[in-house]
Amino acid sequence: MNLGTTFVQDTFAEAFAMAYARILVTAYDQHWLDAAVREATGYSSSVIACDAETGLERSFGEQETPDGRLGASLLMFGFTDEALEKSVSKRVGQCIMTCPTTAVFDGLDSAERRIALGKHLRFFGDGYQKSKRVEDRRFWRIPVMDGEFLVQDTIGISSGVGGGNIILQTTDQAAGLAAARRAVEAIAGIDGAITPFPGGVARSGSKVGSRYKGLVASTSDPFCPTLRGRVESELHPDAHCAYEIVVDGVSPAAVSQAMTAAMRAAAGPDVLMIAAGNYGGKLGKFHFHLRELLSGTS
Amino acid sequence: MVLRLRLLASPQVPLEVEGITPDRLQDKTVAEIERLKIFHGNAQVALSDFFGVSGDASDEILEWEGDLSGVHWIGAQMASGTMRVLGDAGRHVGSEMTGGQILVDGNVSDWLGAEMHGGHLHVKGNAGHLVGAAYRGSARGMTRGQILVDGDAGNEVGHTMRRGLVAIGGTVGDLVGFNMLAGTVLVLGECGIRHGAGMRRGTLALLGRNPPPMLPSFRYACRCQPIVMRVLLRHLMQMGFSTPDDLLAASYCLYHGDLLEGGRGEILTSCSTAL
Repeated sequence: MNLGTTFVQDTFAEAFAMAYARILVTAYDQHWLDAAVREATGYSSSVIACDAETGLERSFGEQETPDGRLGASLLMFGFTDEALEKSVSKRVGQCIMTCPTTAVFDGLDSAERRIALGKHLRFFGDGYQKSKRVEDRRFWRIPVMDGEFLVQDTIGISSGVGGGNIILQTTDQAAGLAAARRAVEAIAGIDGAITPFPGGVARSGSKVGSRYKGLVASTSDPFCPTLRGRVESELHPDAHCAYEIVVDGVSPAAVSQAMTAAMRAAAGPDVLMIAAGNYGGKLGKFHFHLRELLSGTS
Repeated sequence: MVLRLRLLASPQVPLEVEGITPDRLQDKTVAEIERLKIFHGNAQVALSDFFGVSGDASDEILEWEGDLSGVHWIGAQMASGTMRVLGDAGRHVGSEMTGGQILVDGNVSDWLGAEMHGGHLHVKGNAGHLVGAAYRGSARGMTRGQILVDGDAGNEVGHTMRRGLVAIGGTVGDLVGFNMLAGTVLVLGECGIRHGAGMRRGTLALLGRNPPPMLPSFRYACRCQPIVMRVLLRHLMQMGFSTPDDLLAASYCLYHGDLLEGGRGEILTSCSTAL
């Protein structure tokens, strides 16, 4: 199957069930909002070694947020509810509460599963914190040096999907970078999906395990062009570069939509092949078959 | 369908209609509703002696029509549904209600939402004294829910309230938040004196153009723009409560008190100087 001149391999991406939270961050202006988002979504590319996979979902105008300021929703994914609760609290406490003017709201108000957020962070107020209930939402007002940090007591969590992916194989690095950016920009316009790696792109795709004891993951040698000839390569014969776009989403549908949009945006003359990473279907609950996505049958 | 209760004639002595609420009438026929007992002074009478009953109660929507200023306890202990009062109402509207919403298209007398535990009350006109308050001798006033009054209110708004939101669009009398335990009272107009006396926690936002004098047991902290005020104001706007847009970006003077009770409460007043 081809998308223009780009060959789409008959394969699938293998993804996993993950818990996710959506927090809405607001701030005084775009500068401080960007600062908070950048900080909160740092070091969160993969739960292989990070506490959570996070990313910016979408931006909000002043009329769309609870406090009438600019906002952004962040999605945070973890393997368990407990792990997610710890990582969200730490990230909000260290990366957002510290950022001037910010406030944090629950982005999943209707979720039945809930984790504590302000309930943990309030203790930073050392007894001077105050709670305020507005309808059914309870907030904590933690005194800080520019006024108060406002954070919701609990936030909703739900079940999502982590690890959807496509692997772009290109004639050279420049073509690969351009294709990857097109793909990430296409996903950025889709609600409910994030690309947690730097700039949305992973160059160090990984496989499970390693020859070294204690390492849970190591380089995906079949997709490394420099190892062609030494290992059984899965690259297109003319490909000299490969980039992986990893997608986490709030549902299988969101991941499907994001992967489809990414493939369509990335395809082009110098993009020789689009593949995907999987583990033979043995580990992940969700299988996203590339050709079925493109034909609309998935 | 709406169930309509139309006052046939103004009563000589007060009528008390406690228990005539959408949730309790939902499964009753018009004939059954007509036979329900209310008080006329100290005498029990049938509802139909003073009200014309029409419509259907199954959708939990109840409308009162007529000059109901002598009718008390409208919506008291209501648990769910919608009630509209097309005209003035008497004392104790929504008293001890736990849910649902009451909209009064007129004025109400004292004890609006006294000791309410949930639900929404919105009065388009004025309210009397003791909005959301505790009854004399009670440990606490309203514990949850919200009361919106577009017009003015009297004295002791939020007396001993424990939780919830009271918003007054016009002026209020004295002693707002007297003995307040927690919760929020927001007043957009001018107000009298001695607010927050004995308050332990909670927020009084007195946002009239001329800030009231503070009791000596309150201490000034700073000028500030609490984000929680923006959240509250936007919430009120969404609830249809008229709020000036410029309040969102306004600065407030913050006072802590009552220091005689630990100083964990706060009063916010409008600040003329921007931050």
